[in-house]
Amino acid sequence: MFGAAAGARADHEPQRWWAPDSGRVFPARADYRDSTGTLRVLLEGGPMETEGHPFFTAIGPDGRACVTCHQPADGMSLSAETARGRWTATGGKDPLFAAYDGSNCPTLPQGDRASHSLLLDHGLIRIQRHWPPRDLSGKTVTPDFDIAVVRDPWGCNRGDYGPEKGRISVYRRPRPVANLKYLLAIGFAYDPKQGMPLAIDPESGKPMSGNLMADARAGTLDVQMRDAAATHLELTKHLTPAQMRQITTFETRLFVAQQRDVEGGPLDAGGAEGGPAKLETSEPGQLGSIGKPVWSEFAAWEKPEPGLSKAQAAYRASVARGAKVFREKTFLISDSAGINSPMGFGNPVRNACVFCHNMTQMGNDVAPGQVDLGTTNMPFADPMPYLPLFRITCKGAPHPHYGRVIYTSDPGYALTTGRCADVGKITLQSMRGLAARAPYFSNGSAKTLRDVVDFYDRRYDIGYTEQEKRDLVNLMGAL
Amino acid sequence: MKALLALVAATQAAAPAADPVRFVTCPIYRDTDAGRKSGCWLADDRATGVRYDVSRAPSKPDWNYAILIEGRVADGEAGNPCGGVVLDPVRTSILSSERCTRHMLPAEGFPGRRFVLGKRVVKPASVARATPPGPYRDRTFRLFFDVDRDFLIYEYDDYLLDQAITWIRAAKPRAIAVTGYAAMDAPDASGQRISEDPGIGRARAERVTEALARLGVDPAIITTRWSTEPQPVADPAADGLVEPSKRRVDIAATF
Repeated sequence: MFGAAAGARADHEPQRWWAPDSGRVFPARADYRDSTGTLRVLLEGGPMETEGHPFFTAIGPDGRACVTCHQPADGMSLSAETARGRWTATGGKDPLFAAYDGSNCPTLPQGDRASHSLLLDHGLIRIQRHWPPRDLSGKTVTPDFDIAVVRDPWGCNRGDYGPEKGRISVYRRPRPVANLKYLLAIGFAYDPKQGMPLAIDPESGKPMSGNLMADARAGTLDVQMRDAAATHLELTKHLTPAQMRQITTFETRLFVAQQRDVEGGPLDAGGAEGGPAKLETSEPGQLGSIGKPVWSEFAAWEKPEPGLSKAQAAYRASVARGAKVFREKTFLISDSAGINSPMGFGNPVRNACVFCHNMTQMGNDVAPGQVDLGTTNMPFADPMPYLPLFRITCKGAPHPHYGRVIYTSDPGYALTTGRCADVGKITLQSMRGLAARAPYFSNGSAKTLRDVVDFYDRRYDIGYTEQEKRDLVNLMGAL
Repeated sequence: MKALLALVAATQAAAPAADPVRFVTCPIYRDTDAGRKSGCWLADDRATGVRYDVSRAPSKPDWNYAILIEGRVADGEAGNPCGGVVLDPVRTSILSSERCTRHMLPAEGFPGRRFVLGKRVVKPASVARATPPGPYRDRTFRLFFDVDRDFLIYEYDDYLLDQAITWIRAAKPRAIAVTGYAAMDAPDASGQRISEDPGIGRARAERVTEALARLGVDPAIITTRWSTEPQPVADPAADGLVEPSKRRVDIAATF
């Protein structure tokens, strides 16, 4: 996959795996090879000593640190390939494979690869949510639906781990901890999907972007940190305010994007504005439709540049076409809560990828991005026999698109709000650094970027041509 | 009644408005592909056989459910972009209790409408709002809703609420009374009873109270009320539509 073409390799690539307590210096700039070229990680303000830094220190009993699942070489996320590499390198002893959430269920024999198959094969971490749900402030919510376990392949949704004991296990990809000013940006004061002004952080009194986590269970980095420390790090005491400030400062200095393509060369050449440097200096939270169009970073490549190799010219043209397809190829979007209900766009509504992926330079949603694309809900989700399946029965009003009963492998946002109308809604995320962090979607159901395109093509009967699919894949690989 | 007469008088003084159109039907989607959000929504009035174009409604239909149409025939829109008599202003309320068979028509030569930003679009948070000029006196702002919904309609209620909060921040009223109404006495439409759930007035009022608090209004100055006996109002934001003007929340600021 890592070809020998000029520019394919990152110069002076740092050691890929970043172990907790390694005491390394985090560089101001690090380049890592990935599936299509080179990922660049920038640390605004210069290098940083990580010795004793809480993001890099194994502060809990399981030997993990934040960096365990948020690896620089993986765009500050964690690829399934990296997880497999750690399994091989350590015989499954790396703290990454902690029983609590690095295995399919803590009750399984931890030495067996099969007990960690969701992480190794799909890049999934176990997320244990409360049942009944708790809202953003931690208050128990009375849900308007019942939940029953239909399929439980790993035993983590029954007995001590089941809903009857106040727990539900779902499995999700770690989200990238980078480019956070975009994910925290307040574009508009109102959340059109909820028909309300943005929710307010009870600690600061300020509105929250609603774009941080798959199920929006944390609206601020502080809440996210507390949640992660108590679960993924198994920390029995709270992070100190000083530790949280250190982590926040570090995370908000990080900018990550693809910098170079193995075929196309630098992504910020020929008038293009790819790469993370532009992200560092740009204003976040801009809606592409009324300002700088989404992925217009590659608009200069719409016009051929003389003197390029055939392969490089073809690559640039493909990325530029992909950006236009992303913005302009419309299709009918139907039965997707968060789009077709309840906000009044209509069901169906004709629009393009950019309808939801609308933030300039980042491709997340300027509004809080809780949308049900069908990645977890039947019948739209692909078969995933390795994941649990839940039957949701709406007790009040039926779901506007599924009716009274919904089958889902992850209720998503509904595990935060307790509303059946929110079942299967997953927060849109950043589209940067994708080439470094396969697989995709919150449940890792798309192994490749082509699988992502194919899912959308099936879900909405888009009818992309083969060329359009290749262009979209090249575009996403260039982000 | 006084308010209704005022509304009628205001409407007549402006221009001879077309008769109101009000009926229940299943929506039809026409896939006129003129770019994003360009599809047409059509509604056949079963009593008259007339096909209307209801695409201008702030909240659009769902092809799985019946809709209540409330509007007036548009005055002067050129052409026939969708294949129906254009209603504007118009409201479409989804009636979730009545399922419909999905029906989609091809463009059949109709061009549809290219998307343009509407007249009630909220500005980004980063854009400073002009301070409304004083002097500030008692004033009532109103938000309007679809049947049996308390959802603040995108590019309609959010805009109206933004206008209200911008004024409230400048005027600093002593007290705000939020009153939510449920329209239980609406006339039948297409032989169907259109009576809102009596609890929706309270739900609307509580939602708007929460919305104001999120926007920084001190909850201590807000009084929340609800009523099932709304009168129509001649608020420009209701676009002269009588029945929709009853499904509302009043935000009454006093000094």
